Amino acid sequence: MDKAQVMEKQTQILRDIFDSPELEVTEETSANDVDGWDSITHMQVIATLEKEFKIRFALGELQSLKNVGEMASLILKKI
Amino acid sequence: MLFNSYVFIFAFLPVVLIGYFALNKAANANISKLWLFACSLFFYSFWNINYLPLILLSIFVNFYLSNLLQVKEKDSTRKLLFWTGIGFNLGLLGFFKYADFFFYNVNFIFSTDLQYLRFLLPLGISFFTLQQVAYLVDVYEKIASKSKFIDYALFVSFFPQLIAGPIVHYSEMMPQFESKENKRFSSKSFSLGIYIFIVGLFKKVILADTFSEWANFGFAPDADLHFFHAWGTSLSYMFQLYFDFSGYSDMAIGLGHMMNIKLPENFNSPFKARNIVDFWSRWHITLTNFITTYVFTPLVRIMPKMSFGFMMLSSFLAMTVAGIWHGAGWTFVIYGMWHGAGIVCTHNIKRKKIKLPYWFSWFVTFNFVNLSFIMFRATEVSHAINMYKGMLGLNGISFPKGILSIDKIKSMGMEVSHYMTNDENMNLLLIIVGIIICLKSKNSMQIMKDFEPTPKLAFKASFMFVLCIFGLNKLSEFIYFNF
Repeated sequence: MDKAQVMEKQTQILRDIFDSPELEVTEETSANDVDGWDSITHMQVIATLEKEFKIRFALGELQSLKNVGEMASLILKKI
Repeated sequence: MLFNSYVFIFAFLPVVLIGYFALNKAANANISKLWLFACSLFFYSFWNINYLPLILLSIFVNFYLSNLLQVKEKDSTRKLLFWTGIGFNLGLLGFFKYADFFFYNVNFIFSTDLQYLRFLLPLGISFFTLQQVAYLVDVYEKIASKSKFIDYALFVSFFPQLIAGPIVHYSEMMPQFESKENKRFSSKSFSLGIYIFIVGLFKKVILADTFSEWANFGFAPDADLHFFHAWGTSLSYMFQLYFDFSGYSDMAIGLGHMMNIKLPENFNSPFKARNIVDFWSRWHITLTNFITTYVFTPLVRIMPKMSFGFMMLSSFLAMTVAGIWHGAGWTFVIYGMWHGAGIVCTHNIKRKKIKLPYWFSWFVTFNFVNLSFIMFRATEVSHAINMYKGMLGLNGISFPKGILSIDKIKSMGMEVSHYMTNDENMNLLLIIVGIIICLKSKNSMQIMKDFEPTPKLAFKASFMFVLCIFGLNKLSEFIYFNF
């Protein structure tokens, strides 16, 4: 799987969770850019990603995931 | 040693800085780190040398365990090492900070007569314990790389953040201690450091210590809390706490910059918050991050399923832990639960997509926080309740001259303070000044972003510094030293 494919899946997951089918997601998209992305929905995002890619994030990794691009790179490293 | 003392500003700090940069030039990097470590231990012991062995023990044990964790491969061994480490850290904190609170409750419930230990709380123990727990967790989860002892020791003990934060993560500190670039003196970083230090000093010495006179008076056990006094007292404490703690953080950040070390931001105009989630993303940010990462997340993960309800429960429990972290007492338990409830409310309002008017949500949040700080400040729950009664007007709504009458103050053998005799007009004026500063002026993070050293700014900073220096003769402690 390459980064673009990971991003595509991520985008789908984010659109579902934030209930906004039009949501534009780029590598730079971060929690601040998405309405409703707070600590609670962040947990949902993380849990869904973990399930989808069959990976597990370490606690210390969760806060440093500044944007979708970084998240995708980390996922790629883990799968 | 206090940042706001002559001995720190005019003796300790210059010696540390000159030594640090001289050693950076002359010797190898490890020697200058060793110098900073030694200076930090001196800074720590200056207050009370009895607890020096304690912090050293904590550093050695944690370093030893995490090193073992790095090399061991077997899961069961690693698990054992990890839980030994967690047990050690929480045990140390529990023994020195919470034992008496535990005994108090046991005595109360079972009518026993357990003897209290009555330890003086080791300075900074709550802070250095958190930082090391985070490191241990990350080593266990294999995302922290191996470290040198001196880097680790300096990460825990670095004197700007040792006693009251900002709580730092090894991953943001150790690379900075390693970096060769950072070893060179930078005049821009140094002048920024001095400026932010002065801003923090000003917040502490001029603002917090002025508000504290009012707050302390109103929180005195026999204060007569009429309606206006109760509100004046609680608002004064609110501003005292903010200027005290954010001033301390600014000074710490400033000291870091003098040595080219960037400490994380800790406050971002918290009183502009419009809900409690927003408040905690602006108030004591480094604590919020720690609690979210290392308490909230594991709680969510051990819940039976990931539902909104269980996440709310996790938030509530995590905030309760955050409350207890501040101190051993029911007031802190309630303080934590209070904010936990605030967070649960916020998320529910968001979920139902209810839009509240801007000023209404600000007003409710501001008062919610103000009322919670009373619990935070009170030594007993009953004192806080008395303050709430006063604020509701249940103790009368008269307009007395001072919080205690002048005769009463004198009869108690205390000096009549300048502000107290000037009735509450002065207090009201100060509170308005406080509100304006908190809502309208640039916060330290914005000041740092826009920083450009100019002669005008140098003049302004010098003026503030001189004012502070004159205010230094009345020494006062920082509130967060008690946690």
